[in-house]
Amino acid sequence: MNAIQTSQLTRSFGNLKAVDRLTLEIPRGTVFGFLGPNGSGKTTTIRLLLGLLDADQGSAQVLGFDTKGQPDEVRARCGALLEHHGLYERLSAAENLDYYGRIWHMSKADREKRIRELLEPVDLYDRRAEPIGRWSRGMKQKLAVARTLMHRPELIFLDEPTAGLDPVASSALREDLSTLVVQEGVTIFLTTHNLAEAEKLCNQVGVINRGQLLAVGSPSDLRSKTSAPRLYVTGHGITSQIVNDVKGNNLVKRVQHQNGKLIMDLEELNRSHEIVTHLVSAGVQIDEVRKEKADLEDVFLQLVEEEKRGEE
Amino acid sequence: MIADILTVAGKELREIFTFGSEGRGRGKFSLLILIGVFGVFFPLQSGREWVTSSLSIMVWGWMPFLWVSGIVADLFAGERERHTLEALLATRLSDQSILFGKLLAALTYGFSLTWLVLLSSIVTINIVHGNDGLLFYPLETTIGALVFSILVSGLSGSIGVLVSLRAGSVRQAQQAMSAGMLVLFLPFMLIQFIPKAWLEAGANLLQNVQPAQIAIGLAVFLLAIEVILIAIAKRLFQRSKLILD
Repeated sequence: MNAIQTSQLTRSFGNLKAVDRLTLEIPRGTVFGFLGPNGSGKTTTIRLLLGLLDADQGSAQVLGFDTKGQPDEVRARCGALLEHHGLYERLSAAENLDYYGRIWHMSKADREKRIRELLEPVDLYDRRAEPIGRWSRGMKQKLAVARTLMHRPELIFLDEPTAGLDPVASSALREDLSTLVVQEGVTIFLTTHNLAEAEKLCNQVGVINRGQLLAVGSPSDLRSKTSAPRLYVTGHGITSQIVNDVKGNNLVKRVQHQNGKLIMDLEELNRSHEIVTHLVSAGVQIDEVRKEKADLEDVFLQLVEEEKRGEE
Repeated sequence: MIADILTVAGKELREIFTFGSEGRGRGKFSLLILIGVFGVFFPLQSGREWVTSSLSIMVWGWMPFLWVSGIVADLFAGERERHTLEALLATRLSDQSILFGKLLAALTYGFSLTWLVLLSSIVTINIVHGNDGLLFYPLETTIGALVFSILVSGLSGSIGVLVSLRAGSVRQAQQAMSAGMLVLFLPFMLIQFIPKAWLEAGANLLQNVQPAQIAIGLAVFLLAIEVILIAIAKRLFQRSKLILD
C-alpha cells in the first residue's frame, strides 16, 4: 500500500493556484523529497496531506485514510515538523517531548524511554532538563525532529528542516536525520529547496513549481532523464571563435564560457575525446578536463526553465 | 477527549506557574504581589469588616476576571505569535480538546488564585483580630465567592478566547481585553447619570427581592452569556481557519 496517494489534488487561494492537479504515489518506507522554489506549493501540499486544509478539487489518501473525510485518523498516525519548529521555549527539552508523548497517550515509562532513545543519538539527552529558549537554532531543529518521532509515527512530514541553519548545523542535522531514518524506518515526506540535502537523504524526489508537479522519480532517474552529461574544460586560448565552433559541433547540446572555463552539455559522454582533440587542434592549451553527470540542481533548474518556456 | 483536555490544561498551567530567567511565566512573582496586596494589606486596612461585610463578595467576584484576562491572551494569541499553534494543530488533538484545555487552564488559574488570596486574607485577619475564635465569611458569602469565582473566570476566559482569535498579537489581545473591561464597568460609571427617581424605583424593587435571588439571577445570566460565547468560540476555533491566520 502507498503511504501517500493523491489524485488531481488542487487548492487555490483567491486567483492563485497553490497546488494544481497534483497526482502522486509514494510507497511506504520511502524518503520522498519534494523540491521547489519558495512559494511553489510545498507547504500547502503538506497542509492538505495532513488534513489541515481542505482541497478544492481532487483527493488524497494518507496511510489509507482520506484526508478530507478522516483527517483525525491521518494526524493520529503522522508526525510533522512544519515551517516553524513550534517548540515551547519556556519549557525544557524533556518537557516539550513529554507533552507530545502525553498528547499521544503514551505511558510515563514509555515517554521516559522514548525521550532517551531520541535525544541520545543527537547528543541532547544530557541537556534535556534545560529550558530551550537559549538553545541554538540547530539544536532546536534537532529537538523538533525528535518531537515528530516521539509517538513512533508511520509517516513524518518535514517542511524545510534545515532552512535557516548554517552549513555546519545543516550538515549535522542531515546526519542525525539519516541516523534516525535508519533507526526508525518511517516514511518521510520532506520539502526542501536544498538539492544536496534531497540528493543525500531521499530515494524519491518530486519537483514542483507554481503548484504543478514537473517530474518525479529517483534522483539518478531524474538526472539521466532530464539532463545531459557534462564536460568541463579549463585552459588558455579559448576565444569566442573557438566557442562558436564548439557550439556548431553536433556532439554538443549547450555551451557556457565562464572565467576561461568551457562547460558543455554533451549528447554522448563517451565521445568527449573528440571535443578535446578539436580544442587542442584549435590551439587551446588545456589545464584540466573533467567529465560528470549533471547534479540534481542542474536537473531542477532545467525543469523550472522548461516549465517557464512552456508557459511563454 | 477528557484526557486530552487535561493534557492541554496541564501543560498550560505548568507554563503559567513556571518561572525563572527570561521572564518564564510571571506566575509566582505576580502571586506574591497579589497575596501582599489582597491577602495582607487590604484585610489589615479593613479589619473585621473584611469578613463581615457582604460587599466582600464583590472583591472575589471581579478579581478572577482581572487575572484571567491577563493570561488568556497569552494562551491563544501567544501560541500563534510564537508559532507553536500550527505544530499543535498537526497533532491528533481535536479542535475542542485544544480550545477547552486552554479554557480549563484559564479557569483553574483564575479560580485557584482567587481562593489562594482569599484564604491568605483569612489567615491575616485571624492573626490580627482572631482573639475570640475563628473569623470566616458567612456560608452564603463563601458559596457566592465559590460560584462567582468560577463563573467570572469562565466569562473572562471566553471573552479572551474570542478577542485572541481575532488579535494579531498578545499585546493587541491584551489591549482589546482592557477596552472590554472598561465597557463592562461602564454601567457602574454611568449610574450617576441615571435620574434619581429611576434609581429609587430600582432600589424599591430590589428591596422586595432576597440577596440570594439576585445572586442566583446574576449567576444564571453569566452562565447563559458564557454558553453563548463558548459556542461562538467553538465555531471559530477550527483548524482550517486557524491555519491560514
